Amino acid sequence: MGTAPASRDVTSYGMGLAAPLALFFLVFFVAPLLQLLWLSLHNDTAGLHWGLGQYLHFLTDPFSLSVLGSTLLLGAEVTLVCLVLGFPIAWLYQRVGPRLQTIIILIVLLPLLTSVVVRTFAWIVILGRQGIINATLQSLGIIDTPLRLLYTQFGVVIALAQVQMPLMTLPLITALGRIDPNLDDASCSLGAGSWRTFFRIVLPLSLPGVIAGCTLTYAAAITAFITQSLIGGGQMLFMPMYLYQQASTLQNWPFASAISIIFLLAVLAVVSVFTTLGRLSRGYGGA
Amino acid sequence: MILNRRSLMTTALTLGAMKAFPGLSFAQARPLVFATFTGSWEEAHKAVLVPAFRKANADAAMVLDPMLSVDQIAKVNAAKANPPIDVMLHDPGPALVAIGQDLVEPYPVEKSAYYKDLISEAQEPMGPSPFFQVVGLTYNPEAVKTPPTSWADLWKPEFKGRVGITNLNSTLGTGWLVEIAKMRGGSEANVDPGFKALEELKPNLSAVAANPGALATLFQQGQIDISPGNFNAIQILKARGVPVEFVAPKEGAIAFKTTIHIVKNSPNRELAFKLIEAALTAEVQTTLMNPPYLIVPTNSKVAMGGEIARVLAKDTAELKQKFVFQDWKKINEQRSAWIERFNREIKI
Repeated sequence: MGTAPASRDVTSYGMGLAAPLALFFLVFFVAPLLQLLWLSLHNDTAGLHWGLGQYLHFLTDPFSLSVLGSTLLLGAEVTLVCLVLGFPIAWLYQRVGPRLQTIIILIVLLPLLTSVVVRTFAWIVILGRQGIINATLQSLGIIDTPLRLLYTQFGVVIALAQVQMPLMTLPLITALGRIDPNLDDASCSLGAGSWRTFFRIVLPLSLPGVIAGCTLTYAAAITAFITQSLIGGGQMLFMPMYLYQQASTLQNWPFASAISIIFLLAVLAVVSVFTTLGRLSRGYGGA
Repeated sequence: MILNRRSLMTTALTLGAMKAFPGLSFAQARPLVFATFTGSWEEAHKAVLVPAFRKANADAAMVLDPMLSVDQIAKVNAAKANPPIDVMLHDPGPALVAIGQDLVEPYPVEKSAYYKDLISEAQEPMGPSPFFQVVGLTYNPEAVKTPPTSWADLWKPEFKGRVGITNLNSTLGTGWLVEIAKMRGGSEANVDPGFKALEELKPNLSAVAANPGALATLFQQGQIDISPGNFNAIQILKARGVPVEFVAPKEGAIAFKTTIHIVKNSPNRELAFKLIEAALTAEVQTTLMNPPYLIVPTNSKVAMGGEIARVLAKDTAELKQKFVFQDWKKINEQRSAWIERFNREIKI
């Protein structure tokens, strides 16, 4: 145990520590992904003939494209609902006493402590024909016949928003916590109203949290196979179910692989838009 | 753990025997693996089939590894030379896929003591059928006062917004569409009339479930009052107190042959054969026919009783007359095109 070489930079760490995880990812993530790509480049289900047929089939088929489109739209809707509902909670969290903070954080985290399947079944009970919403509306005399809530886009968005909410709220809480509260007061004392302060000071400074929350919620919402299929039913087709259908029921693995790759790229594109926005916001926040 | 002289002796003898007959330990390298279906099938097989098999075969080691047909096929495909499963259980569609991909062995019919007792529809040389799954009409007796009698009843105006179906991912959904097509003059090769009928059913449709299991939830939640349904799934719901009844439509109940197969290159081929033999015996099938399992037997020596005799068929002759078997070879040829069409056309 001699002295460390003089040239060693104390702020740099050896890559060795990351190696186990890197290796794990290489073997169990990168390798299967490459296999998926390899499979998707075949025109027949046996995987013998090379070609771009699967991609052509998907990209020239209006139906497949509409499935992709509706999935991406679903993600946007869920993200928007989460943002609009989640932001006030995060904002509130920074302005209440420690006891209320504990309660808020518990409420935010509670959904994460139950399984997605359980939460989704709860939504079936809530949205069903004789569910809580319909029963309440009927007993209040607002509606005569039960509304159709289950197996609709609306139902899927609401259920997914609740299921994915913590992914939005937690980054927002962190981001808002980093903002110096004096800035608010400064803005007000310089004559800006509450809304002006919010849009010119709080929102720009919290943008990194907004971006992080949106990315997480979006990615989770569009891939949520269980909630999508249980609340959306069999006639609302989103990408995960489309994939499952092709891979599992039809055993058409090359097409299923192509769908996964296209889906992956589409999600990456959306996420990179978020990240670019995040980079821009950092410039904005610093200005 | 307490070691007494007897258990020590048994262990020593076993070890000695394994040393003396290395073939013995090789054969026991891995216990017999039977990939049954998940849920109630697993329960029934664990409680009835496994004990019967072990009793007949000197307590031979075996494990149940429940999984879906498609997973069974994927697993065996991934290791064809040394498959991790010895006995597979399949619905008619996947069975043909497994046979087509050369994953199963022909059943040694001439060696079998029970194969000839099976009713002719269950005698499949690539793997016999130890039980049938039956699809008929399911309804909520509290909401539907006059029991339905025909598939055509689903189109009645009184069921506006009350009907549930499943999409074509499941055997049930596909088989039902074929039956509807047949009712309107179509066949396994031509389901156009079926799709037209579905179009007309839309005002009545309340839900298109992603899988048959979801139908059960919809009944429980009062989302639907009538749907095509699997006899066994309904019995489970009924046992839990959900108000549902099953009725075989007058066009005939759809029967799926669930077939059981010896996996090609299985290291436990002999035991696999013995397990399937056990599944074909009248004793095992009789026990499985009785509550709580209510599994439809295929051995003609089983005397029908209980709920099955009441709702489905009193004896083999009636069963043959009331059950409709479909040509899944034909269905498989076009199934992917149908699924695609269903995806596009059925939006409610």
